[in-house]
Amino acid sequence: MGEAVGPRSYHIEIIPPKQDSQKLEADLELFAGKFERVMESGFTASITDNAMGLLAFQGHECIEELGLRVRPEQVLIHLNTFHTKRNLDEILEACGRLGIRSLLAISGDGSPRLPRLQPADVEAEGAPAVTSVELIRYLRRHYPEFAVGAAFNPYEPEAHEFDKLERKLDAGASFLITQPILRKNAVVDRLLAAHPEVPTILEAWMSKKLYLLSDVVGYPIPEDAEYDPFATLEQLQATYPQCSFYLSLLGFKTQYARIEEMAGPARAEQEERL
Amino acid sequence: MKIVVCIKQVPATSDASIDPVTKRIVREGSKAMLNPFDLYAVEEAVRLREQAGGEVIALSMGPESAKNALVEALSMGADRAVLLSDRAFGGSDTWATSYALARAIDTLGGVDLVICGKQAVDGDTAQVGAGIAAKLDLLQAANVGKTEALDADGITVRRMHERGWDVVRLRFPALITVLKDINAPRVPTLRAARAARRAEIPVWHPADIGADPGRIGLRASPTQVVRTAPPAARSAVTTRIAGAPAEVAGELVRELLARKLL
Repeated sequence: MGEAVGPRSYHIEIIPPKQDSQKLEADLELFAGKFERVMESGFTASITDNAMGLLAFQGHECIEELGLRVRPEQVLIHLNTFHTKRNLDEILEACGRLGIRSLLAISGDGSPRLPRLQPADVEAEGAPAVTSVELIRYLRRHYPEFAVGAAFNPYEPEAHEFDKLERKLDAGASFLITQPILRKNAVVDRLLAAHPEVPTILEAWMSKKLYLLSDVVGYPIPEDAEYDPFATLEQLQATYPQCSFYLSLLGFKTQYARIEEMAGPARAEQEERL
Repeated sequence: MKIVVCIKQVPATSDASIDPVTKRIVREGSKAMLNPFDLYAVEEAVRLREQAGGEVIALSMGPESAKNALVEALSMGADRAVLLSDRAFGGSDTWATSYALARAIDTLGGVDLVICGKQAVDGDTAQVGAGIAAKLDLLQAANVGKTEALDADGITVRRMHERGWDVVRLRFPALITVLKDINAPRVPTLRAARAARRAEIPVWHPADIGADPGRIGLRASPTQVVRTAPPAARSAVTTRIAGAPAEVAGELVRELLARKLL
């Protein structure tokens, strides 16, 4: 991946409007505003693909339909396995047309409304189903112009997750994004030690609603649990200075300006190092 | 080829409630969605149009908010949409509804094929498709799981039943009701969704379709819902087993054996 995975660059999660939006034009305007702001800030717009299995429009079509200006190093399109082959082809063609260079290949969250790629679609006839591994291998084989990232979940059984990681790297993943971590994480430490050469982006949870992470971390978090996203982010940045950060559910009205401030000195340091 | 696809807006399954007085499903103000089976009907109609040319008209009956279901059909590729909406239609049972829809289809004129979802997930009667076919004297096939062939004169379909399936040839005009096996509904593109939201959807009243006022609405409905109740809430309990992997596995097996699940 290009400059977007340099030290202290922030990946800002942007969720496209939902398919059932009753105020689509307003939602598109919001999307455009967020996207343009991220481009201006020099961060990476990390655009989700039907997150949580909720039907949404695709990032590339929002960008094209709204005529947004893409800075190629600053856009990361998430791509999961819940598509038809035709959709997959369309997404990849559009990303190429827009000059986008980075994709995050994930298995994804399905829903009864979403089709799923079949093994033959990605030339993986021997596989029982298409996972991110098969998708990564297919993308690298046919679309070598894209840097393809993979997900790493430190809350899964560790041996199993590391085994999957090796298969993802073997398939061609060139960078990693973790699930949200809330403090120094021993599994992430072992990941960084095992693969110091692979750029790793740590997800930082920017919503105060920490309990929403209960299913991710695998234990119940009370709804009234206090959580300071900025304190957590600062602590993570100090603990993992070699990593960049993916900011999920970032509040553009309430939090973005502070992120820009935080990035200022870090970007200056980065420039100095370079 | 002129295809009409009949669709219905139903309460979102997570948000259904029942009026304690009228015993009917509360539709106004509730979260709603396009009846899931109708997605397959719309998709099949659009695919047949893509194959044979012509137009697809989405038709629905319901309150003004039912336009959202029609917008979804337009997003998926229907060419135009019509909503039947009037207080006089309110409370129609399947008999009165199929009469009103049949009148609308007749008004549209020259329709070759009518496609409906197998059933609506709110009433679960599966009667409206058959009712329309009876009122318009159309050949019909219910529970269609596959379109085998299509030509200018008719359609050949695979009709599913308990013991397998039959291949049935229907001359136009005809009506089919479709199952989920028939296709994988497309997810609308943003461009199509925006165009659909801008589309004018005409609202037709009883007079527009030449409906006999004595055959629509609650009073003209031979069936009356006398009592409805939501299903009992399921009581699911999540148990987390902590410990070393071997201990957890052992505990899990003991639990499953105790519940006679192993």
